[in-house]
Amino acid sequence: MDSKSSACSSPNPNPTLGPSKLMLAFRFLRALSLVRRTTPASSRTCRGRRIERAAYASMAYTAGASRAWSRAVLRRLHHRARRRAVAPRRLSTTAGNRAEALRRLVPGGGGMDYCTLLEETADYIKCLSMQVELMQGIVDSASSYGP
Amino acid sequence: MDPPSLMPRLPEMCRFPMLGMPPPELAPRVGWIGGDASVEESTVTEQCGGSKGRRRRRDPPSSGGATEDESSKLVSTSSGNELTEAEAKRLKAIKSTDGNDNIKSEAEASSGICNKLAAQNPQTTEPPKQDYIHVRARRGQATDSHSLAERARREKISERMKILQDLVPGCNKVIGKASVLDEIINYIQALQRQVEFLSMKLEAVSSPMNTSIEVFPSNDFSSQRYDATSGLAYSSQTREYEQGSGTEWLHTFERVT
Repeated sequence: MDSKSSACSSPNPNPTLGPSKLMLAFRFLRALSLVRRTTPASSRTCRGRRIERAAYASMAYTAGASRAWSRAVLRRLHHRARRRAVAPRRLSTTAGNRAEALRRLVPGGGGMDYCTLLEETADYIKCLSMQVELMQGIVDSASSYGP
Repeated sequence: MDPPSLMPRLPEMCRFPMLGMPPPELAPRVGWIGGDASVEESTVTEQCGGSKGRRRRRDPPSSGGATEDESSKLVSTSSGNELTEAEAKRLKAIKSTDGNDNIKSEAEASSGICNKLAAQNPQTTEPPKQDYIHVRARRGQATDSHSLAERARREKISERMKILQDLVPGCNKVIGKASVLDEIINYIQALQRQVEFLSMKLEAVSSPMNTSIEVFPSNDFSSQRYDATSGLAYSSQTREYEQGSGTEWLHTFERVT
């Protein structure tokens, strides 16, 4: 892919800022246009699913492989792409043990010790709120530009 | 021969046939030694005896004063264990009444018992009282390092909890670890649901934008997309950065796609 190589090889012009937000926006918009081009417009739910998956994937790619949750997201993504299996989506978090609930919410949280789990949770929340901010901005601007 | 208080400990005591000998006021202490040493008898005790014997060979064999110094040092390093604290009290009591001949002879008797105990181990060449004190100190040190590690872990957890509390809005007012965790879980769930909802919304929004791609020329569209990214709720610094460099990025993005 030409776009991927050009995106990865372009140097960060402002190293003090931290490229995460801009890279997240860049990746997500690219994935969004890819979804829009490749998926037929008739299947709306499939498209929504793919957009959501693209959101998580761009988050994980931006966080990099140094985080356990991003590795888990990418692993899940690749597995799903390979065998087309649909994982159960919403897990109930009504368990008495709150750490277990947190473990199930944060990707890759199973089998993690409590300290690492909290650290991963903090990073995951940061990235997730950034992603939500980005998507909200895109939705707002697109709906204001729309017909 | 055995005092009746030692009777339930007989299966442990029968390893040390000389333990029946001490005067009755020493019996509880001896029982404690025997019961405790039997837990990890063949590993820790003998190894400690060996290392201690090696160290003792370097130093000249010392009198009772030196041993008490060392024992107090060892005990002071291992504060935190209940047993060792009790032992420290007892040692202080012995040290304070050192002038008394009876108690001194009693302490010597106890050290003699330890001599016999250590002589049963095949590795130990130099016996004395430090043997079981050393074992006790090692046990104390072990629990101490465990408790130190536990304390460090707890501090780490609370520090991360604080970071999480700063991240999750409205979580600072909540008191209690459980409710903080509840807030965090609810926040993550809300964010994930919002991602789901927004992706559905983006799908609904993107279909008119899809038709607008053909309408707009490429240059206009890139500026429009650029507005779409910079119109987010970013900080002004980010916006400046994007105004400086984001256009060419998105131009390449548009060219490629």
